Amino acid sequence: MNWLSDNVNQLSLLGAAVILILTVYVAGKYIKQMKTDKATGELAEENWDGIGEYKNELPSGWAYTFLGTMVWALWYWTAGYPVDAYSQIGEYNEEVAAHSKMFESKWANADSQTLQEMGEGVYLVQCAPCHGIAGDGMGGKAADLTVWGSKDGVLDVIKNGSKGLGFPMGEMPAGLLSGEAAEKVAEYVAGGMKGDQPAEFATCAGCHGQDGKGMGGMAPDISEYGTPEFVKMVLDHGKKGFIGTMVSFKGRLSPVQEQAVGTYILSLSHGE
Amino acid sequence: MFHWLEKRPFLFSVGVFLVIAFAGLIEIVPDFAQASRPVTGKKPYTVLQIAGRQVYIKDSCNACHSQLIRPFKSETDRYGPYSVSGEYAYDRPFLWGSKRTGPDLHRVGEYRTTDWHENHMWEPTSVVPGSIMPSYKHMFHQNADLETAFAEALTVKKVFNVPYDKPGMPKVGNSKSDFEAAKKEALEEAKKITADMKNQDVKDAVNRGEIPEIVALIAYMNSLH
Repeated sequence: MNWLSDNVNQLSLLGAAVILILTVYVAGKYIKQMKTDKATGELAEENWDGIGEYKNELPSGWAYTFLGTMVWALWYWTAGYPVDAYSQIGEYNEEVAAHSKMFESKWANADSQTLQEMGEGVYLVQCAPCHGIAGDGMGGKAADLTVWGSKDGVLDVIKNGSKGLGFPMGEMPAGLLSGEAAEKVAEYVAGGMKGDQPAEFATCAGCHGQDGKGMGGMAPDISEYGTPEFVKMVLDHGKKGFIGTMVSFKGRLSPVQEQAVGTYILSLSHGE
Repeated sequence: MFHWLEKRPFLFSVGVFLVIAFAGLIEIVPDFAQASRPVTGKKPYTVLQIAGRQVYIKDSCNACHSQLIRPFKSETDRYGPYSVSGEYAYDRPFLWGSKRTGPDLHRVGEYRTTDWHENHMWEPTSVVPGSIMPSYKHMFHQNADLETAFAEALTVKKVFNVPYDKPGMPKVGNSKSDFEAAKKEALEEAKKITADMKNQDVKDAVNRGEIPEIVALIAYMNSLH
């Protein structure tokens, strides 16, 4: 009988019992009255083809309740809940502001495990319809995120080009490098641009800069390729790639959620 | 007590009418409020989008999909900003729907794309595993009814003063003789959509000057935001 310890449940039960008893009593009273009562009283002056009507006073309980509801309605509209004192949008704004504040402070220093779990939730709702639950792009319907952030991912971009991120430098044409040169560059970029820079990177440096940082916002910063920051950049910009269009998620996800999605997508390709 | 009133049936009828009309007034007056005017930047549907809207109604999409995002955090997180009444100014009829067997579609144009719709309408489970939505392959073969769409646009322009042909607004013309021009306009719009599609039959049809239903529907879906 755990549920009985809840005071709302107790009240509801009590209310139900009272209603039941009242119903039985009132119904019984009227049934008895119908059996024994004889019509008496003064007739009203109207007469419709021989059908008359008794002058009956309103039952006092009914009349007082009716008056009471009128007083209550006046109070409700003027003092209790005036028409212009409540706004549904206002309540919504307060709810969202309170939630965002709580959310950001609660997860401000979330560890990567927490972020990855949160990212999975966001991913399944927002990303999986196109990239698939497993992130494999569902047989070429969207970018394959299981190779993203790795050498294969860079090779994919070099082979097919990239467009639609909306940087001033514009589209990246397909097939700028091929064969061994592409392999070398891909390994270098996927490795976080550490170690010796291959000579073939000069092709990329034309737009992305010698350090890969995109020359101050002219092109994507590929030195952070394979990090949650890069995912955030794509989420903000949206994309129109060689497969299809990805819309911009700017403003749809909170900073923590974007970080979480980035962390989760990284875990898809790096098998963490 | 009401003896006096009951003896005057005409006056009584007028009284009854006034009381009931008051309730009607409460429902009608808010439609003229500023909040119900078209929101800034809202454009009437193009002829192609109306054709898509008619496909949407014909195939009863609104039986399973709503087009109204309520101001609750759980809704705005998933579907985008809550809906306001001025956004439905050009909807005749509005398609709010009353039941969500599938998700809300009021801002579907913000987060789904032409190529996604193409995959999804052909075979929903290919992109949403576990979806119970039927596939709508017939939309890829049947042509959209541009004549009716054009007639609807022309009618709402003439009867309700919908701002077609104003600067920056979609064109529809002034009489039914402008249909050919409107059709050409719709074909141009359709070509932009098929450029993002993969189905060769659909592309060929548009190049022949036909507009399959799927193209019109996608134009309508993309306009929802």
